[in-house]
Amino acid sequence: MPRRRSVLTTLLIVLPWTILLTIWHQNPATRYLTILRKETYENSTAKSLQILINVTQIKEEQHTACAHQQESTPAQQTARRYVYSRPPGWSRWLPTIYVITPTYTRPVQKAELTRLANTFLHVPNLHWIVVEDSPRRTNLVDSLLERSGLNFTHLNVESPKSVRIGLAKDSSHTPRGTLQRNLGLRWLRENLILSDSLEGVVYFADDDNTYSLELFEEMRSTQKVSVWPVAFVGGLRYEAPKLNAAGKVVGWKTVFDPNRPFAIDMAGFAINVRLVLKRPRANFQLNGVKGGYQETSLLKDLVTIAELEPKAANCTKVLVWHTRTEKPTLVNEGRQGFTDLKVEV
Amino acid sequence: MPKRRDILAIVLIVLPWTLLITVWHQNAIAPLLAIRKASHHLIKELFIMPERLGVRWHQLADDGSDARRDAGQGPDSKEYCSSDKDIVEVVRTEYVYTRPPPWSDALPTIHVITPTYSRPVQKAELTRLANTFLHVTNLHWILVEDSQRRTALVTRLLHETGLNYTHLNVETPRNYKLRGDMRDPRIPRGTMQRNLALRWLRETCNVNQSQPAIVYFADDDNTYSLEVFEEMRSTRKVSVWPVAFVGGLRYESPKVNAAGKVYGWKTVFDPHRPFAIDMAGFAVNLRLILFKPQAYFKLRGVKGGYQESSLLRELVTLNDLEPKAANCTKILVWHTRTEKPVLVNEGKKGFTDPNLEI
Repeated sequence: MPRRRSVLTTLLIVLPWTILLTIWHQNPATRYLTILRKETYENSTAKSLQILINVTQIKEEQHTACAHQQESTPAQQTARRYVYSRPPGWSRWLPTIYVITPTYTRPVQKAELTRLANTFLHVPNLHWIVVEDSPRRTNLVDSLLERSGLNFTHLNVESPKSVRIGLAKDSSHTPRGTLQRNLGLRWLRENLILSDSLEGVVYFADDDNTYSLELFEEMRSTQKVSVWPVAFVGGLRYEAPKLNAAGKVVGWKTVFDPNRPFAIDMAGFAINVRLVLKRPRANFQLNGVKGGYQETSLLKDLVTIAELEPKAANCTKVLVWHTRTEKPTLVNEGRQGFTDLKVEV
Repeated sequence: MPKRRDILAIVLIVLPWTLLITVWHQNAIAPLLAIRKASHHLIKELFIMPERLGVRWHQLADDGSDARRDAGQGPDSKEYCSSDKDIVEVVRTEYVYTRPPPWSDALPTIHVITPTYSRPVQKAELTRLANTFLHVTNLHWILVEDSQRRTALVTRLLHETGLNYTHLNVETPRNYKLRGDMRDPRIPRGTMQRNLALRWLRETCNVNQSQPAIVYFADDDNTYSLEVFEEMRSTRKVSVWPVAFVGGLRYESPKVNAAGKVYGWKTVFDPHRPFAIDMAGFAVNLRLILFKPQAYFKLRGVKGGYQESSLLRELVTLNDLEPKAANCTKILVWHTRTEKPVLVNEGKKGFTDPNLEI
């Protein structure tokens, strides 16, 4: 009996240590968390107490430490180290934000995508799906995405000429970007596997809008579909969902057609990616969509108004602006062009 | 005797297993997710540590949003030390980085002077500008409002970004002869604000300063790549580069000869100006600004397109210009302009809540 016990004990000791040694041996590049201490306590004792934890998946950490003092402690100062990188390291704990951006070639395209990328570079766990309205993926967008350092997917689908030029029957409101957004949704459905552990949010971000960093943190917790106010839409300073006292969406604070099922702009909602995968038929309607109803054409197949989750402090803060960029005047280019076309603008 | 051995055995067993579980917890992959859920409880297990050191990390999933907002507001004072326990809770922390990169003593500072004025898109413009500036090391933003008083909107925005900034204001005199509160059209827009910033620099910065610095004029509606800031950092006197969407062209650019010297301007509109360049197309070394304290943008009597010349001719000659952006062959800054938003549906009385800031 005692013999069996000592065998068992030896096994229980040897096994985990060998596994640990194997892991540490296999990951020489593994970074270990070190505990930061207050300057006054920087001594070898701290170093000898490093806890070794494998953090290969997480590139940057910010550690706080509080030194435990035996004498009376003054303020509980935390030592912080900002490890800065572009973009912030991928984290296993944050739901991924899939941002779908339709884009098309025009003079200001590179500028728009540049400043958009500059914003996205601050957002952790962001996956940018850029869908060009073009027959082929262009070099301009390709190299911009590569150089940015962002996590991205580069797609393209060409809209029929009528849509692009704006000669559709419904010339009052040609749904631009529809095919591209639908392709983005299709990519998600083909490349992600629906499971309970899949966490993510889908957001449609046009390339000329302005996004605050807070917006992305607000949408991360979306369970089904979340909504918030958007500035400069509907001929107003902002449009916003109408909430009741219980914090549920009951209507829409808009002047233009407030009786639409979802009187909200493309930039005013986000969808949980699981919901997108669960409803594979839900897409933006391409033809026969009345002006202002494009968002509805998708959302009606995903959610009811009662299920909407209001964000941005119960829809009282504006975190996204529907800005539009002027078309630059290029009169002085003349017929033959003055500037060198090989220089990319 | 046997008792001590038992204790030793127990420690030798428990310690590696908990370490292993922590490691697997970090490397949670789908099949191990279930184990993760079980080990979540174990993560809070207690490590035995000497009294001198207490460690406490936080699990982002629990208080993620709070952690991020705290990160933008300064040191987190919610920590506490368990002062009377040997045993400490261990939980991991992660923060979102919205801070500018740490200051470096090795790099020249870039003082970015931005004049701004109140209009509906102001907050949007400043927000996306700040999002770009937050990537640039050693950037000092000098924001000058065209207003009687520094507004709450800009004050709050600057504070929340976490950028290194100086907030100034000076009001361009109104021309009361015109309708409404139009500013004096004879004074080019932003001039008084840029001059105020130059004056602030001259009053604040010491000529004998060891750390070099660069001055750049950045309007709040332009678009800047991150590269342009790195290009301008090496400016010795005045550096220049191409700018897109100015002068009615795809871009305007300096003409650079084979020796790498600027000898003219590739523009259609008045290429014979002393400096046919846009405000966003040049940067000046701070030393030069301080050595020539009389150099300012001319306020009145400036012909269209000559504002930049009115300053630069006091500072430098064409020969001294340093071409950047691969000898002026790359576009790193775009003179974009934002459309004025249509607000017809506000009507006379206003539909939206005026207290809600946009």
